[in-house]
Amino acid sequence: MVVHAVLLIAIPLLSAFLIPLIRKISKWFTISILTLNSIFSILVLFEVYNKGMIYEIIAFSPPVGIYLAIDNLSALLALIINVFGAINFVSTLKEKSFKFHMLYLLAIAGSTGIVITGDIFNMFVFFEITAVASYALVASKKSEKAVEGAIKYMILGSLGSTFILMGIALIYSQMKSLNIYDIANRISMMNENIKWISFAFLLTGIGVEAELFPLNGWVPDVYEGASSGIASLLSFGPSKAAIYAIARLLIVIFPSMHTYEIALWIGVATLLMGEIAAFMQTDAKRMLAYSSIGQMGLILIAFSLVSQGIRYSIPASFFLIVSHASAKSSLFLLSHKNKMGSALTKYGGITAVLSLIGMPPLAGFWGKWYLFLGAASEKLWLVIILIFFSGIIEAAYFARYLHRSIGEEKMEASYAYPMAVLSTFSLAFGLLPFIYKMANMHLLGGV
Amino acid sequence: MRKQASVVITVIFFLSLTFAFYQISSSYNYMENKYDYTNPINESSANESVPQHYIKDTKNETGAINVVTAIVVEYRGFDTLGEVTVLFTAATGVGFLLYNLYSRKKNKREANLILREGSKIVLPFALLTGAYIFIHGHLTPGGGFPGGSVIASGFLLMMLSYPKFFMNEKRLSVLESLAGITFVLIGLFGLIFATYFLQNYLNLGNVGYLISAGIIPLIYIAVGFKVGSELASVIQNLKEVQE
Amino acid sequence: MNGVIMASYFTVASLLSIGLYGVMTKRNLMKIFISLSIMDTGVNLMLITIGYLPGGTAPIENANFAKYVDPLPQALVLTAIVIGVSVTALALVLLIKYHSKKGTLEYKGGMKW
Repeated sequence: MVVHAVLLIAIPLLSAFLIPLIRKISKWFTISILTLNSIFSILVLFEVYNKGMIYEIIAFSPPVGIYLAIDNLSALLALIINVFGAINFVSTLKEKSFKFHMLYLLAIAGSTGIVITGDIFNMFVFFEITAVASYALVASKKSEKAVEGAIKYMILGSLGSTFILMGIALIYSQMKSLNIYDIANRISMMNENIKWISFAFLLTGIGVEAELFPLNGWVPDVYEGASSGIASLLSFGPSKAAIYAIARLLIVIFPSMHTYEIALWIGVATLLMGEIAAFMQTDAKRMLAYSSIGQMGLILIAFSLVSQGIRYSIPASFFLIVSHASAKSSLFLLSHKNKMGSALTKYGGITAVLSLIGMPPLAGFWGKWYLFLGAASEKLWLVIILIFFSGIIEAAYFARYLHRSIGEEKMEASYAYPMAVLSTFSLAFGLLPFIYKMANMHLLGGV
Repeated sequence: MRKQASVVITVIFFLSLTFAFYQISSSYNYMENKYDYTNPINESSANESVPQHYIKDTKNETGAINVVTAIVVEYRGFDTLGEVTVLFTAATGVGFLLYNLYSRKKNKREANLILREGSKIVLPFALLTGAYIFIHGHLTPGGGFPGGSVIASGFLLMMLSYPKFFMNEKRLSVLESLAGITFVLIGLFGLIFATYFLQNYLNLGNVGYLISAGIIPLIYIAVGFKVGSELASVIQNLKEVQE
Repeated sequence: MNGVIMASYFTVASLLSIGLYGVMTKRNLMKIFISLSIMDTGVNLMLITIGYLPGGTAPIENANFAKYVDPLPQALVLTAIVIGVSVTALALVLLIKYHSKKGTLEYKGGMKW
């Protein structure tokens, strides 16, 4: 059977266009489309597992046309975005407006598009779909904080997209091509100075979405202002897609020792800033938001170890992404009430926290394990010490968090079940050995 | 302090941009050999650059005379689908966020006679021009986006001159949906009748005539309707907001 | 270097810098979004300038011309313009909401970390 990966994007778009015609049943329609898409992303994953990297040409063969290039990591990310999107949708069932459902579908389709496209301008377009849908979703909660957060997000996001477009324009001026792999093949003919300037622009632009160090002023406000379901969506969808886009930028387009080093130190700065700020917070949602920033720094560090520690770098980043996506989205759902009353919520919350701290055998442990191995193979002892130090801070504030949120109050079932299921993923991915093989097989299209 | 820092950042930004432009301005001719592309799937190098391919082969491959249209709708049609979706997302977001800010009071001042009578005369021509622009997208400059904007500006004129002018929101959104569905379905039919998504499966026809270029005019008509109705609904939504 | 290209690049750099300066220093949200639109215009002009070929004509099949400008940046600019319009529309709506909640468009909070 031939699996057309383009359906991963085309079906949600088609259904988003269709929803205004069937307003009455939009909720059930959206659920079924999200389920269909999750099944589909599993099929794509198996296809990639069997064949290595798969391509899907759209209209004309690249670089004249556009194509989708799906490697292992992007198939796994597409799976995470779609499956978690379907599970997380349960928590937003109270929303009645069909426009909310359309925006939710579009945000999922956009983030999927970012990870599977093989064309840099196409990636920009999907960034915009995701960003515009997220601005509207964040502002949908009727509170002052939500609007303020959305405006801040929008200012930095638009600035970021302008920078991405500038970077793309500079690359195009040198290569006369927009295809990521075509650019990568011929990058050596590019003028050295323009290469650096365009790298800086692209990193700045994508860094806004990926919550990297100097550009993450929007993060705490948005996560604090948005409703729990949307905060959870933002933590596994757009931000993960953006960090993967940075990986493509770093490893495929601009592979050099200097770019890795820049990314490494940006990652370390992001990690320390996030974890220390999280430790000083009193509000649970803000603390989780800063902790997300720290985790994104960790993921970027993992990607930047690719030159020497390639055997460890990609699995590390993959496990960190899984652990962060599942645990953080589950904790954001928990932050709706912030009280772990029933056994189900206790299980979900504690599993999530343990995975984030890095307890074996959860996914977070494997992530940090491979990260340490990778850093050791590059002999970056200072980085290891800093990661270890930030892990201790993390454990401290999560212990305080758990202590405060044990209580009698019960959460609604629509939050408790998705939360438990989401944190089960960090357990499941930690236990399945084939995942490691998968993550390690074809690294970003045979780098 | 803040101001000084901003000035410094701006100056650095300006200088780096100037430096980058100084470096690229010596290399503008896309015909040169050094821009020859490699096909990323089978890694074979071609004997032409990407823009050169467009200039040379657009007529044979897509049947359109206007190269920009061929790129927008055929070669990079997936971008256009995304672009239409961004506009659609924004229009949805506008309606979604303004939902409880509408005023139902309609005591706005009438416009003057010249505007009222003039807009009656101009409206049909605006609609006609818009339709002409998107139907002839593959032959003349223009296409779905400019055409749709011209149509929406016709409705904006009506709203300015008649404060009570009101378009049925539901019908607009149905039109918008149908146009979007048409676009995606044309793409999906490409998977069925040809090999790839958005591939042209219709006869290219008599190049240079109105009915030619396969799916390009069809998609552009859908885009024109979609953009027109979306922009009109955005304008109407913003107009209805409580003062 | 061609004079047209030089003037055009100078305009691009100025527009982008003016926009960036406005985003960083202005306190009024409306002015911030106007600055962002100025930056958008700058990037669009940058793309068009990159595609410019001295002596080239619009890329529509024409027997009188042999030289055409690069058509791809023009297609990209079309996309970028539409995206800019969408973001601006949504920004206006957010500003309306902000104004209805706070009664002002001045932003006092600052970017706190």
